[in-house]
Amino acid sequence: MAHVGVAGAGSVPVVSVTEARRDTTDSAEPPQANPPVRRGPSSRPPVVVGGLMAWRWLTRMRTALYLLGALALLSLVATVVPQAPNVPATVTAWRAGTEGPGVLVVSLIDLVGGFDMYGSALFLGLLVLLFTSLTACLLPRYRAWWRIVTRSQPPTTRHVRDHDHVATMVTALPVDEVEHRVRRALEGRRFRLRAPTVDPSDQPRQVAAEKGLALREGGSLLFHTSFWVLLVGIVLGRLLGFEGDVAVVEGDAFADTEISYSDVGAGRWWSQDDHAGFTLRLDEFEVDWYRDVRFGGTPIVFESTVTITDANGQSRSDTVAGNDPLVIDNMRIHQLGWGYAPRLVVEVDGEIVHDAHVMLVQAGDAFIGVVKAPAAEPDVGFEVFLWPYAPPGEGGVPQITGAPWADAPLLAAVEYRGDLGLDGPQRFDVLDKRGLEQAGGAQLRPGARVDLGDGVVISFPELRRWVGFQVSSKPTLPLLAIGALLVMVGLFPALYAWRRRVWVFAETDSATGRTLVTVAGRAFQRPQAFDHEFPAIVTAVRDATDADTQETAHDPG
Amino acid sequence: MTQADWGELSRILFWPTTMLLYLGAMLASMYAHAFTRVAREDGDTPVAGRRGQALATTLAAVGVLAHLAHLVTRSLGSGGRVPWGNMFEYSSVIAFIVVAAGLVIFQWRLRKPQVMSMLLLGALLTMGAALLVYTEPGPLQPILNSHWLKIHVTAIVLAAGVFTVAFVFNGLHLLRDTAERRVAASRQMAGSTVGAASASDLVEQRPDGRPRGLADPDQDEFTEGVPQRDAVEDGRIDDGADDDRAYGLALRATINPWMLFAGSWLAAATMSWVWLDITRFLTVNTVFAGAAVMAWWLLPNLPTAATLDALTYRTIAFGFPIWTFAVMAGAVWAEQSWGRYWGWDPKETSAFLTWVGYAAYLHARATRGFKGRTASIFGLGAYWIMLFTYYAVNLVIVGLHSYA
Repeated sequence: MAHVGVAGAGSVPVVSVTEARRDTTDSAEPPQANPPVRRGPSSRPPVVVGGLMAWRWLTRMRTALYLLGALALLSLVATVVPQAPNVPATVTAWRAGTEGPGVLVVSLIDLVGGFDMYGSALFLGLLVLLFTSLTACLLPRYRAWWRIVTRSQPPTTRHVRDHDHVATMVTALPVDEVEHRVRRALEGRRFRLRAPTVDPSDQPRQVAAEKGLALREGGSLLFHTSFWVLLVGIVLGRLLGFEGDVAVVEGDAFADTEISYSDVGAGRWWSQDDHAGFTLRLDEFEVDWYRDVRFGGTPIVFESTVTITDANGQSRSDTVAGNDPLVIDNMRIHQLGWGYAPRLVVEVDGEIVHDAHVMLVQAGDAFIGVVKAPAAEPDVGFEVFLWPYAPPGEGGVPQITGAPWADAPLLAAVEYRGDLGLDGPQRFDVLDKRGLEQAGGAQLRPGARVDLGDGVVISFPELRRWVGFQVSSKPTLPLLAIGALLVMVGLFPALYAWRRRVWVFAETDSATGRTLVTVAGRAFQRPQAFDHEFPAIVTAVRDATDADTQETAHDPG
Repeated sequence: MTQADWGELSRILFWPTTMLLYLGAMLASMYAHAFTRVAREDGDTPVAGRRGQALATTLAAVGVLAHLAHLVTRSLGSGGRVPWGNMFEYSSVIAFIVVAAGLVIFQWRLRKPQVMSMLLLGALLTMGAALLVYTEPGPLQPILNSHWLKIHVTAIVLAAGVFTVAFVFNGLHLLRDTAERRVAASRQMAGSTVGAASASDLVEQRPDGRPRGLADPDQDEFTEGVPQRDAVEDGRIDDGADDDRAYGLALRATINPWMLFAGSWLAAATMSWVWLDITRFLTVNTVFAGAAVMAWWLLPNLPTAATLDALTYRTIAFGFPIWTFAVMAGAVWAEQSWGRYWGWDPKETSAFLTWVGYAAYLHARATRGFKGRTASIFGLGAYWIMLFTYYAVNLVIVGLHSYA
């Protein structure tokens, strides 16, 4: 136990300090987070009273906890319910009733906007309330913190012997000198001291010291304020930012203008002129996997080699990889997806109606896509399947494997004729089969050319790859980084800084003429740490005053 | 040795080697402190207790070495990468951190070896869960090979390990607190003379008769978040061993182990359904409920509720900044590899939720009316959310993070 040098009862009269009345400058706890919500008669108009009550309710920590809990609950729902921005197909399936818990539950989920939880009015409303509550809590605390730092001082104590930590010692130095030296010693330990007593004849002389209050509270304020920085960063980022996707086949290029991109998400304050205006050519996309049976299919590398030409016409070669976006001016280029892009040439009656690289996306074992050739009469369409590794097995029959490496690609094209229905809206990656009839099909190896009959010839001259890039501008990333840094900077003192008070009494012992020094202490947080600090303070006081420990009775507690 | 050989060796080092060593250490530690009171500081430790404790420490230390060897061989078996790239490896590293940190902090620094048995239990549960998702060592996807990923995962694993320790304290706190309250309530009802121990077991008296450490002597403020400091050390120092024993038995008698078993079984069931596998579901629930009953048996030997509460708080306050940093590092990694720093991916959501849960715990602890038991329940909820992050999202819900 850490009760150091406790004097036996009766050797010191119980100290009572007359002037130790509560002072307006006494440092106090920061304002309570739970001000009472008062009800009762009031001369103010009911709207004002209601508004005040609502405000007080918002400023309660309890309310903040409820709001946090409600947000957590909604997020929990959102981890279980598919979210339209992330997995739109699953949401469609849930709504159609082919998957999920059934139409009744789905309609309930829709009622609260559960398929786009983070964009729902409920979620955003709660978030607004939470930030209002946060602000309402913070404003009085800023004021109080400023007062703590500028105007407050540690209060005196009336019952020095009643604190958990008490130590006494005796010195030959006079009271004035003791006070002076104790003040210096405590200042050396970075304690804040109460201004000295005005009346020099006062006995006993009391030095009140405190440490850690401003730091702990300041850390907490910084921590909570930094969420405003993060919020501003996120909202400004939405308004000022830009995000667009583009898919490029090896050898092709795209220019940084709005029309190049699909899925454009541009902020309200983003303008066409903000594009960096570069041109990016995909020279090569390198992708490889471990072929070892044990790790089969684990990728080794995904890397695009690109030539980038900036708005001034300067070209350079660079790479974009999974974790390594390319940054040019204000734009960031991420490599997100990839697939195979076979060049397919379709001739009808000797005339070329389609000659392009068809971007296929991975779906299970195969990469799939479609060809639409409205130039033919009637229209020709193909569903295309590609198995990258389908080596010839017994008797030359291709063995389809799930392996993604294109060592033995096999392409299957299923031919449709009729009306592609291009006059109406439709998806570019799906055939609208309502006006189409299946006409034939073929399996092709690279370089093959197959006559499908009826004058239709399909050939597969080469296989390339395509890469999906995301091009974005996120001007507030540095602000967000600062916000994140402030969160961490504030968190440490908020959790680990601790407030403690120390009082030192000095009094002339009338019997011996020597000075009796009593040190008392109290920790408001981390009492275990104070158990270690208090003896060190006592030692420092003893050394500073050349005192002897009067009596070292071990506290039985 | 080939990579496959290293992988096989690492598996053997994990199970049975390390797990059996930890199991032995746990049993020895429980024997040592549950039946022979080695924890007493007055020096009259029985020989059997000293030997049991020495055995426990040795086994745990050897276990940590074997575990370290497992991690190293696992790394060699995966082609030299850091051995935390999938769920099995995360779990293994978490368990390693729990035991190693426990040895350093509780065994050697704080000299509270009785905590080790609970930490070993937590580690064993984690390792058992890890075996359920065992994967052969192998290389990582390039998308997973980034500095920020390593920082993110290391921090999140460390924080998860710390939260696991906090969870053990948290659960024990609720259990012990319930028992202490019931004992106090029954004594109040029956009058102060019932039972061999007196009310002074709970609150130490000052010489002037006022309880210690409950309030500021100047009585101008109430102390926030500080456990009552004298109760922290040991609430029943001055009583004789008989009183001590009677009080312990009274604590144990207040809780029905069958009800506790059923309750913990059901509580575990809210998590363990994620495996969608009836055998695992039953095993995990039963093991967890068994652990709760074991804690019940150890009730008399547990530290006081105030100590456990303080330990919970300090552990969570240690883990919370790490988790915060880990979530931020994850956002940096997400920005690098997916082109957005936050996308409400299920796993991101759950990491955020865990953060909210522990933030709520820390706030609840400073809020009137939530202090103590309610805050403790917040802590348990936060850990539940973390497990949900860890397993449900990986195994049940498909998102970008599903690389397990």
